[in-house]
Amino acid sequence: MERRIPVKKELYMESLQKHFRNSPDLVNKTFTFNRQTIVIHFINYQVNKDQLERDLLPPLTNAKKPWTMESLKNAIPLSSSEEIKDFSSLARELIHGGVSVYIVGYEEVVVFTLPKQDHRALNRAETESLVFGPQIAFTESLMTNLNVVRWRLDTDDLTVEKFLVGERIQSEVRVIYLKSLANEENVQTMKQRIEDIVIDEIEDSTVLNQLIEDSSSTVFPQLITTELPDRFCNSIAKGRVGVLVDKSPTAIIGPMTLFNFFESTEDTYMRWNIGTFIRMLRFLSMVISIVLTPMYVAALTYHYEIIPSSLLVSLGQSRATVPFPPVLEALLLEILIELLREAGARLPTKVGQTMGIVGGIVLGQAAVQAGFTSNILVIIIALSALASFTAPSYMMGSAIRIIRFPMIILAGAWGLIGIVFALSFLVIHLLRQKSLGRPYLAPIYPFEASALRGTIFRLPFQKNAKRPSYVMPKDESRFDKKRAGTKRDRSSP
Amino acid sequence: MKTNLNVPQSQTVQAFYLFFIVHTIQIGAGLMGVPRILFLDAQADAWISVAIAGVYLHFIAWIMIKILRGYENADILGIQTDLFGKFVGKTLGIFYLLYIFLILLSVIKNYIEVVQVFIFPEIPIWLMSLFLLSLMVYSVTGGFRVVVGTSFLFFLLTIWLVLTISKPITYMDWGHFTPILQTSWTDILKGAQRTAYTVLGMEILFFVYPYIKNKKNIALPVHLGLAMTTFLVMLVTVVSIGYFSPDHLRETVWATLSLFKIISFPVIERFDFIAVALWMMVVLPNIVLLCWMLVHSLKRLFHLKEKHSIFGVSVLLFIGALLVEYRMDIDLLTEWTARVGFWLVFVYPIFLFLYMKLVHRWRRRRRA
Repeated sequence: MERRIPVKKELYMESLQKHFRNSPDLVNKTFTFNRQTIVIHFINYQVNKDQLERDLLPPLTNAKKPWTMESLKNAIPLSSSEEIKDFSSLARELIHGGVSVYIVGYEEVVVFTLPKQDHRALNRAETESLVFGPQIAFTESLMTNLNVVRWRLDTDDLTVEKFLVGERIQSEVRVIYLKSLANEENVQTMKQRIEDIVIDEIEDSTVLNQLIEDSSSTVFPQLITTELPDRFCNSIAKGRVGVLVDKSPTAIIGPMTLFNFFESTEDTYMRWNIGTFIRMLRFLSMVISIVLTPMYVAALTYHYEIIPSSLLVSLGQSRATVPFPPVLEALLLEILIELLREAGARLPTKVGQTMGIVGGIVLGQAAVQAGFTSNILVIIIALSALASFTAPSYMMGSAIRIIRFPMIILAGAWGLIGIVFALSFLVIHLLRQKSLGRPYLAPIYPFEASALRGTIFRLPFQKNAKRPSYVMPKDESRFDKKRAGTKRDRSSP
Repeated sequence: MKTNLNVPQSQTVQAFYLFFIVHTIQIGAGLMGVPRILFLDAQADAWISVAIAGVYLHFIAWIMIKILRGYENADILGIQTDLFGKFVGKTLGIFYLLYIFLILLSVIKNYIEVVQVFIFPEIPIWLMSLFLLSLMVYSVTGGFRVVVGTSFLFFLLTIWLVLTISKPITYMDWGHFTPILQTSWTDILKGAQRTAYTVLGMEILFFVYPYIKNKKNIALPVHLGLAMTTFLVMLVTVVSIGYFSPDHLRETVWATLSLFKIISFPVIERFDFIAVALWMMVVLPNIVLLCWMLVHSLKRLFHLKEKHSIFGVSVLLFIGALLVEYRMDIDLLTEWTARVGFWLVFVYPIFLFLYMKLVHRWRRRRRA
């Protein structure tokens, strides 16, 4: 329902006071000159005072003629001025840093927006730190983030669409994509899902991410959340759809496949052979992380025959004093590692390092000496924990660490059969997943040979002239492969 | 029942995947024990039996494709009702259902038996069936694309096992094969017939055809899949005959798995444990594809909801797995499945083809 602005001065001031429940922060000033009474309102800390005193008040009070609505809007040298008739939108503008100018006798109010917002400057990336490559990370301010994105994606093809999510407290959400490249179905799915959200408020973009994901019952993330503008922009340039949320330093990108979670922007910045090697290392470490501890448990609980006799001796010796079955031993150490990780994340940085040493070295060493665990298991657990941290996506790393626990329990209960059952279950589970309705295991299934070059491997750019086909970009070709391959140096005589 | 199916685009797959579908449904429980079965009949000339069976496979596939090409987008159930009328068509469909159920049960039982013999003598049957059936249900409820994905990915995950056979090859005694052609031709042909159980499953082509996107190109992947199957059967048969002594092979029920026994790596000594456990991944596409066929046919024949029939089928399989308890019963089950399968998969299509030609010609004449 629209509420009109009161024409009488006293009534106007009173209703504003009442709307803000006599807040001490609502400042009002009344000026009378040129046989005219002007009332301005603003909220103390929401307004940039310097600008207010420099750009708005002097021209307002020094006028030679009486002000009219038109002259007010046009003669004051401020870019954002708006004429408002509705009382509740006036109140909203004031909250957002507006200064309302009310001329007694008019039915409208002119609002100048001079917002002041304190936020941190662009900083180095913390969670997704890189060895080299661009270093800045997104901040909490949507405008700063959009500014960075526009700066990186220097084309008018970039499309930004605005949405408001939240019924009680609204958050601004932007869907970002390249019009000529992004698949319309993907864009439509993303927009539809954001529009369909029914919730009172969203705390952060990670919450939005969970609301728009395809399946919320799985441990695997289906859309990538990143704090790196270069990763965000690279993905958009491949034809994906990105989402930025105000007040959140994490951006969302989709559609993604499982293998994208093991890509780092650094692979792109390195030479292709080194990049490929590192990427392979990550896939390997995922397998190690999932399979190694369960294999140890299975072999030592049921299948001694698997272990070569020479190794069996040293294994037996190190396990001779351990009073627990291998499952318990492994679970104990796994939980210890998880505890260390969690404590490390929560502790203040100054204490963190000391605690790491205490936990890692002292606890591990003492556990072995006390006969709680075997030396070899400590190595195996440390290795698989380390391996799980190589995933460039923190969410994926956590998912991998979580699925280890049921695997260890299954291995303890039914040995190799339990492990193979769990692995099969995992594969079928992954097959069933989707990201924005696109298959999650692409380009392996559905198999697309051309997309392997950029997703599984990292072949030289000249050899890989295509955008990943599973994203379904409108234009798959990045550049002319033939022309890109030749270097026209002057040949030496 | 409509003869032709309307399959939504989102449920179709490329013809390329037929290679994996046809190959993975054939390779499974049968391959574990095929060398001994062939050897019992055809002796050292078992490889000739495999070769004959392989050629015959391609012939049957050619006939099957011919039958399917006679229609626009039909599966075997639709074709049968079109040719024989509603009642006979449905009865034949039920016959197919029973046969698929039997083969499904025998695959599950055989694998459980192998696990009990090789890894866990005391693992309960109900637990193993629960493992296999839960994976089956999880995959089939995902829809046709997940089913095909299961067959494709598990093929990739297990095909490397073939490479490990290079070790037994080095221990082969080629003298076991000579003199060639000591066995009578009837025994060799009998051996070829005995291959049937190993290569059953190619009838999936009859069911999966409407779900293929580019139907023109189906011949190549199908024949390649069959060739791959023949190659694998040939490989394990030849290696087993060369590796085991004749008397030894006669007593080795799962010769293929026993071949893995001598393979070892620096960190893994007895590879056969891992191979037998991994064989679950070989058997799984089998079970999943067969179950899909069953569920799909139930929907076509009786309009049963897929969700209901999947759970119905798995409950029946579970009960069946518990009832068939002893080795003798499993052998009997396998024997019967092989016999039914031989007639249904390798003989019936020829008859169907001739009858179809006849009916179509007659219809054309009547229309003219």
